[in-house]
Amino acid sequence: MIDKRLFRLPGTKKLLLVLAGLTLLQAFVVLFQGKYLAEALVNSWEQKSLQTIIYPMVLFAIAFILRHLFNLLNTKIVENYAGKTSENIRGQLLEKVYNSGPEMISEEGTGNLVTSSLDGIDLVENYFKLIFTKLMNMSIIPPVLLIYIYTQNIASGITLTIIVPLVILFMIILGLAAQSKADAQYKQYTILSNHFLDALRGLPTLKMLGLSKRYAKNIYTVSDEYRRRTMNTLRIAILSTFALDWLTTLGIAILAVFLGLGLINNSFPLFPALVTLILAPEYFLPLRDFSNDYHATLNGKNALNAIFELLDKPSDNKGSDLKDFTWDEDSQVELNNLEFTYKGSGDKEVSLDIDHLKLSGYHRIGVIGKSGSGKTTLIRAIGGFLLPYSADIKINQQSVPNFKQTNWQNKLTFLPQSPYLFAGSIAENIAFYRPDASMDEIKKATHAAGLDEFLKVLPEGFDTRIGEGGRGISGGQQQRIMLARAFLADDRHILIFDEPTAHLDIETEYALKKPMEQLFHDHLVIFATHRLHWINEMDYVIVMDNGQIAEQGTPDKLRDHNGAFSKLINNMRGDQL
Amino acid sequence: MNFFKTFKHDTWVKPYIKQYKGLLITALLLGLLTSFCAAALMFTSGYTIDKAATHPINILLIYIPILMTRAFGIGRPVFKYLERLKSHNWVLRVTSDLRTRLYKTLESDASFFSEYHKTGDIMGLLSEDISHLQNLYLRTIFPTVISYLLTIIASIALGIFNPSFGFFVFLLLFIEVFLVPLFSVSIESARRSYQKSVKSDLYVQLTDNIMGVDDWVISGRKDDFKKLTSQNIQNLNQSKNKSKAFRRNRDFGLQLIFAAIVICFLIFTNLTMTNNQVQANFVSAVVLAIFPLSDTIIPVSQGFEEWPQYRDSIERLNTIKPIPNNLPKQVTLDPKDFESISVDNITFEYDSNSPILIKNFTQKIKKGEKLALLGPSGIGKTTILQLILGDLSPQQGQISINDLDISQIQENRENIFSVLNQKPFLFNTTLMNNVRLGNEHKSDAEVKKALERVGLKPLIESLPEKYDTIVGENGSRFSGGEQERIALARILLQDAPIVLLDEPTVGLDPITENDLLETFFDVLKDKTIIWVTHHLQGITHVDHVVFMNSDAIEMEGSPEKLYQTNKHFKDLYQMDQGY
Repeated sequence: MIDKRLFRLPGTKKLLLVLAGLTLLQAFVVLFQGKYLAEALVNSWEQKSLQTIIYPMVLFAIAFILRHLFNLLNTKIVENYAGKTSENIRGQLLEKVYNSGPEMISEEGTGNLVTSSLDGIDLVENYFKLIFTKLMNMSIIPPVLLIYIYTQNIASGITLTIIVPLVILFMIILGLAAQSKADAQYKQYTILSNHFLDALRGLPTLKMLGLSKRYAKNIYTVSDEYRRRTMNTLRIAILSTFALDWLTTLGIAILAVFLGLGLINNSFPLFPALVTLILAPEYFLPLRDFSNDYHATLNGKNALNAIFELLDKPSDNKGSDLKDFTWDEDSQVELNNLEFTYKGSGDKEVSLDIDHLKLSGYHRIGVIGKSGSGKTTLIRAIGGFLLPYSADIKINQQSVPNFKQTNWQNKLTFLPQSPYLFAGSIAENIAFYRPDASMDEIKKATHAAGLDEFLKVLPEGFDTRIGEGGRGISGGQQQRIMLARAFLADDRHILIFDEPTAHLDIETEYALKKPMEQLFHDHLVIFATHRLHWINEMDYVIVMDNGQIAEQGTPDKLRDHNGAFSKLINNMRGDQL
Repeated sequence: MNFFKTFKHDTWVKPYIKQYKGLLITALLLGLLTSFCAAALMFTSGYTIDKAATHPINILLIYIPILMTRAFGIGRPVFKYLERLKSHNWVLRVTSDLRTRLYKTLESDASFFSEYHKTGDIMGLLSEDISHLQNLYLRTIFPTVISYLLTIIASIALGIFNPSFGFFVFLLLFIEVFLVPLFSVSIESARRSYQKSVKSDLYVQLTDNIMGVDDWVISGRKDDFKKLTSQNIQNLNQSKNKSKAFRRNRDFGLQLIFAAIVICFLIFTNLTMTNNQVQANFVSAVVLAIFPLSDTIIPVSQGFEEWPQYRDSIERLNTIKPIPNNLPKQVTLDPKDFESISVDNITFEYDSNSPILIKNFTQKIKKGEKLALLGPSGIGKTTILQLILGDLSPQQGQISINDLDISQIQENRENIFSVLNQKPFLFNTTLMNNVRLGNEHKSDAEVKKALERVGLKPLIESLPEKYDTIVGENGSRFSGGEQERIALARILLQDAPIVLLDEPTVGLDPITENDLLETFFDVLKDKTIIWVTHHLQGITHVDHVVFMNSDAIEMEGSPEKLYQTNKHFKDLYQMDQGY
């Protein structure tokens, strides 16, 4: 019921102690509330005057108020704890994303991580709020009341004791039945429940096909079918709540009857009977509360599990094996026997097996291959975003296990297929790698990237807010901002490109070529692309196929040789004018 | 009060309350009976005990109360169970109506899909709005109505015995079920809206940051990365903490009022019911009966508090109105008679803020011709396709098929035009069903034949479920190129003379792209094609190329001729080919 890992969270043990104390107090005030209410009622029943009930009535009121005051305190403490702890978990999660984000994203997907860190955290917070209080209430309040009831009337005590295991047994049996019924229908069920959204999204298509009018009838039919199935499942699913309700109310009814018969037989006076009757609903209340929120706690528990799983994944901090160095024309990286396999999104296996590769000085190295050949995997491994299973890597003669090294990554500039612009001003985005750059330096970089025209028409110039993924800015300008970023980061001498022009139209690409070629100067360039014209700018080409290097060499040499390179180029070109 | 403003012109909630009236009344009645039984159980139990304590000589004297105690004890859970079933049934029935209506409304509004600025997942939002309405009924309206009925019935019942006490209790209950909820909604409404907007900002921010994590890792700016969202998270938490504190204090306040009610009952019963034993036997009954009422009364405020969330949904749905169809008299054009499309000097812009502007655009396309349209993104290439389809109308100029204005043939447009775009939509059903949407009268064999022509036969036959494979949400079971081919098969069945291709190969690698273009132009060789594309791959397939820029047509002509006479085209082509 309660996850052991919860106790590892800071403050949990203290919270439980405080809650136990408070709940015990609550149990007693509940008891007093019932006791004094019963006293007042007995006095009224004996037709005594108002004065005689004032004393028990005031005590009842105090107990009632105290009870809810304790409840308020209880909620406050738990909510504070839940808020703080879930925030703490969110912090850990973000830290984790930073430390092993790139690997994790390729495994978990962006959407999943965002959902975990927002909705997931909300569910977890709710879970914390519910689980401690409800469990505490359930384990402390009923026993206290039960002991008191035993002192008042043993038969009632026994009745109440017997009902609880019965309730639990019924709920388990019915819960299982509902579960198996729901499982059996699950697949059909999700299709039906998503049908409407599917139809709305497909409406333009239906329109194009001339089917949209007739399809309206289908919407109703499917929706009604969904209703029918939901009702069928619901009928069983809420049976467990019914059982709980039924047994507890029936419990009270039986108790009332027993007490009535006992009173007739003169076995005990009115007070113990009345107090037992008043306390009986209170006795069942924690159990009912718990079952009402059972589903919410279940969701929270699953969310917490998912988050713990993410957090428990081994994460490799950036390595510090690599001593600082400067990349210049004599520098070189050598990698031998680099190997790894991982499960990418959609369970597709991605693997890489590189025998030998050398990158040196200010060379320009093109990486080509058809999709799925391992281009991206290779450059992501070199960028330190993916960790090889085994590899023999030497950077300037220093051996390192992988490229996830602070002193390697701070030499890199990475230009992906879809540029990343964070929410902020254009200037801040350009100064991404050098937040302390002067305005003059930023302007120089902007000029080099050919952004002058674009900035001129913006009323707020460099202070224009962009972000949310750069929405509102064309793909070409986004790439230019990325280029300006790279121009400004002149202390980073290694450029890694991942198909930077794949999504651009041909004229925009044409216009981008000049500033890019300029950027190539004094840089080691590693350039993965589908676009053939870039090969002319490269000194060296790596042809990837099936996660392996099929061919490597200078473009001229590869062209002359009728191998993987020539074959790939011919396939890519297609028919010609 | 924003309630009334929202509901004043509402057509999405109010009218449906009248639907399935019998079921609705049954559900509400059952809800009321549940609360009534809960109270009656305590009432009869209290009475049974009090009566028994007078030691009646004959046990039969308490036989009836005992029987009633049992009946109410069983009645409460049974009614509650039935109430939940009936209310869900009613809500789901209404949902089916709402869905059909939303669908029909959107269907009638052709421009809804073509407004280029409709970003984000508006369809997802609308479909969620409908589920919000379900919750509005189940979590707010039903419990509130039941608690109001209960308040009125309880007050009247008391009023019969003692009018002034009845009125007094009514006032206290009125505070509990009306004033406090109203007060909480007025306090929380702004806060909830604020929380909602911060949260949606956070969504965008977090998505962006997680997508950009590569860059942050390389930049080494770990603290800045964490700081990006911290401000919003802090704001959200502050506001949420205020909400929580408010809720705690409010619930405590509600309990205090409830305590006052109980005390009043204790005093009232002592003062008025202690004249003889017969009356006194009812004291416990009356006092105990009010305790279960708190279960019905206290949660009303909680239900009210969720109002802002529902309000947004109701308001959004109400902005969607059916568009009156003002098409001219429709003419039937036999697809076989199609001769030419002429786009005559059209000018179009969405509004003055939009970057898309089409000025004096003219083209004539004869039957069987293939035209490629190029230009930078955001220039209005897709808009031209929408104009040709008749989804948008130009401010100036005319588009006609043969001699007919495009607006005259909208009714059976699917016989004339097929469209294939970047991300063709596949329904989450079998392959067979998806393709057959092209023409529902085709036999299984013909559907299979179409799939064979687009080159999918080997792939499909290697799948365990073959033609009955479910394509998954948005066709996710298949790759981008395969999805295009499935959509192409659908178009083959549709067999319209004009095919509009809107960048169908964007984002595919060049080899897949080449193969796909080969297939397209092979199976569609008899058709008239207008093809929007972003580069020159496969340009040899067309007769005519048009390059647009923001002002006018930059260059046009047959690819062969342009290659020989136009330097810019030649440069672009050579770049594309990698020379």
